[in-house]
Amino acid sequence: MTEIQKRLQTEVEKFQTVQKEYQKCVSVRQQLDAQLNENSLVKEELDRLADGDNVYKMIGPALVKQDLPEAKQNVQKRIDYISGEIKRQEGLIKDLDKKQDSHRETLSKLQQQFQQQQVKAAARS
Amino acid sequence: MASKSSQGQQINIDQLPIPQLNQLTQQLEQEIELFTTSLNQLKIAQTKFLESQECLNKISPDNDNKEILVPLTSSMYVPGHLTDVGKVLVDIGTGYYVEMEVPKGKDYFKRKMEYISKQIEKIQPVLAEKFKMKQGMENLLSVLDITLNVIGGKICVIIKFDWLKNMLQWTPLI
Repeated sequence: MTEIQKRLQTEVEKFQTVQKEYQKCVSVRQQLDAQLNENSLVKEELDRLADGDNVYKMIGPALVKQDLPEAKQNVQKRIDYISGEIKRQEGLIKDLDKKQDSHRETLSKLQQQFQQQQVKAAARS
Repeated sequence: MASKSSQGQQINIDQLPIPQLNQLTQQLEQEIELFTTSLNQLKIAQTKFLESQECLNKISPDNDNKEILVPLTSSMYVPGHLTDVGKVLVDIGTGYYVEMEVPKGKDYFKRKMEYISKQIEKIQPVLAEKFKMKQGMENLLSVLDITLNVIGGKICVIIKFDWLKNMLQWTPLI
């Protein structure tokens, strides 16, 4: 019985670490999503501008003038990078999801075994 | 339990095992929290845009060259003169600022507010639906909880009874 208890405990610990990792991944993904959203809004706004309009970029506390095409390129690059990151995180999340499910299964099996043993032990004593 | 038969989704829920039900409720709660905070943030953003738009109304040719007090900190101001009422710098996000003429700036804020209104309209029905689902789940879970408690109580009684019988059998030996 103690062996099963030990196995249960290690399994629970493993499950919890996976769960934590999963939550981390999800929050990172949410952040990336927000960034992507903001960047695409900026891109949309930059696309509306005419060639002569002045664009400034905030670097530290100072505003530095930047060419419109350069700004557009920059934002597009960022969008591409963030989209790639999102795909990567999504893969990670899928993997972790599977891991969580398998852990959950083994956990419920162990729990059942444990309960059966307890009932048996109670009946025997 | 009578309320559940009306919708297809809720019939599905009945057949799930309890751990999964708990998991689903947790997920729903997280989703509801997320949507509520998003909704609040959207509303805050909208009021900010509205304020900016109202500020633009003050930057008109009538007020050209008038004296203003410029805030250096939240409690210290220096006097200044309003020059060039034709153009404003607008923060369009991620550190980019664009020089715009006043009407264009107003148009920008108007568009942004419309965008946010659309987002709010998207979120609100979803949130309402999640709330409904959560309520259904809670009803189901409370019913299950009561039945489980009753069953658990019976098992407990049987075990206790067996234990008592055994004790009575063994006492003469000690």
